[in-house]
Amino acid sequence: MKKIERLAIANRGEVAVRIILAAQELGIETVLLHSEPDRATRAFRMADLTVCIGGASSSESYLNIDSNINGAKSVGADALHPGFGFLSENSDFSKACEENGILFVGPSPEAIQKMGDKITARSLMENAGVPLVPGYDGEDQKLETLKSEANRIGFPLMIKAAAGGGGRGLKVARTLEEFESQLNSAKREGLSAFGSEKIFLEKYVEHSKHIEFQVFGDKKGNYVHLFERECSVQRRHQKIVEESPSPSLNEELREKMAKSAIEAARSVNYTGAGTVEFLLDGENYYFLEMNTRLQVEHPVTEMVLGVDLVKAQIAVAEGRSLPWIQEDLFPRGHSIECRVYAEDPFQNGIPSTGPVLGLHWATGPGRRFEYGFDVGDKVSSFYDSMIAKVIVHSDTRDACIQKCVKTLNDSVVFGVKTNFEYLKSILNHPKFQDGTMTTSFIQDYFSEGLMDSDLSEEELAFVELAQKNLLSMTGSIHSIESPFEKSWRNV
Amino acid sequence: MKRFVLEHDRKKRTAYAQKSSEGLWIHIDGRTRLIPKAEGGRKRASVVKSSNEILAPMPGKIIQVLKKKGDTVLIGEPIVVMEAMKMEYTLKAEIESKVEDIFVGESDQVALGQVLVKLEKPN
Repeated sequence: MKKIERLAIANRGEVAVRIILAAQELGIETVLLHSEPDRATRAFRMADLTVCIGGASSSESYLNIDSNINGAKSVGADALHPGFGFLSENSDFSKACEENGILFVGPSPEAIQKMGDKITARSLMENAGVPLVPGYDGEDQKLETLKSEANRIGFPLMIKAAAGGGGRGLKVARTLEEFESQLNSAKREGLSAFGSEKIFLEKYVEHSKHIEFQVFGDKKGNYVHLFERECSVQRRHQKIVEESPSPSLNEELREKMAKSAIEAARSVNYTGAGTVEFLLDGENYYFLEMNTRLQVEHPVTEMVLGVDLVKAQIAVAEGRSLPWIQEDLFPRGHSIECRVYAEDPFQNGIPSTGPVLGLHWATGPGRRFEYGFDVGDKVSSFYDSMIAKVIVHSDTRDACIQKCVKTLNDSVVFGVKTNFEYLKSILNHPKFQDGTMTTSFIQDYFSEGLMDSDLSEEELAFVELAQKNLLSMTGSIHSIESPFEKSWRNV
Repeated sequence: MKRFVLEHDRKKRTAYAQKSSEGLWIHIDGRTRLIPKAEGGRKRASVVKSSNEILAPMPGKIIQVLKKKGDTVLIGEPIVVMEAMKMEYTLKAEIESKVEDIFVGESDQVALGQVLVKLEKPN
């Protein structure tokens, strides 16, 4: 067993803050490895130590293995947490940490590599008895072979880069006619994004649900699952709203899927936090992929189980046993997470950048806010537009949805536009409220984004009041001469 | 950001407002809005619109060009798909016209305000 003294964080934004909070509570010093512009972030202010590892562009900083390793070594960090995204699922990175005597908070390089190659993962799952989407994952990549396999599987089908993930290198072919062009496009993307044009084919199951299981393993061979999350609300394979438990599983199905998830983890001697993603079509479920890292949506699991997944990751990395046994884990109530994107929902989600000018999180019981900026910090176009997460917990799913809408209503971000209105429209949609949404939910109901409305009378009145008031900030507010003064008094 | 506690008919509610270079940000009744400065002020490059030129509203990468030179386009028809901050979005025609020229191809990096596609000027 090795007690971690100084933990490097190879990430930024809200997840860096999340890791810093967990480590500091454990009495571990934190080192933020950050890019040049990220000096002006919340994580930078909170970390015990900071090391600038490169320029704004991710390839010079957050995606650069050597810079991260050198940064961690320069201040004697004895462990490193990769967060999610960036280098978190890069086996070369975890190997480099190992070789430099830095404990990697995550699974072994072998486990990352095996699950990272989607073809290897498929064959491992097949051996472990985990159901797979019907498809073709052979070595023979000749066009003729792929065409005849495509015909055998049937259309529509998905063409996926073997090394792909996160929606990249993934194409859908609806007919044999468009198969070849989509195939070439998937190969191109695979080659440019992952350095390999190897592909595999999978039947495209439309109107299915995205269900994933949180699993955890320790270095002593113990495994538990921490129940499921449903993440069917996705836009272009990017999750927007996630929840736990899923409204779509009965006890029998939940148990079967959980067992498959643990088998998946066991097949690669998995250690730490991992997520096994499934596609659910009625009562049939199929393995999609395993994410070998902490997940963006991990808070909903923490809320319903009362656990701290980041602290457990650190404990397991230190060589301790899992902090829980399966029988202790029982979900209570319901939790929903909304991803806050800096974008304009009324202009089809065009990204919004700039300094954050005002901020108010509507705190309250069962409300949690994860964010990586303070007022004055800039949301820049260098990084992901997901700037925050709003997570709520309540007794029932209905109460949870209600709490979530109210929390979004009362929270304020000025300076950059956010998708708050978009999130509320999702939460208020009957298909979401009755729990029957599928992964085509956004495409079916929100493909055009939101329509903007004119200012209401109340808003117009407030604009007038605010403008006058902000002009004469020094004057007494009660002396404002406004046509609305009679009805509205600023107290 | 200034917080206002407003009272009307004995009922109170909270609202927020703040001025910025772009205009006035307000939050009332659960909704945040940016009220742009009155016309005549200098507009930001990202909101400059020339209806016969399709401009990049953000620095980013071209994912797909859906039209060819000479194609006719209708109002609202998608013309270019681009990606910025890992998000894709579609740029659409604002006028009914014909594609006069295309200046970008798939995978090209483009700067804010760059002209991507030119449509014929309406008569």
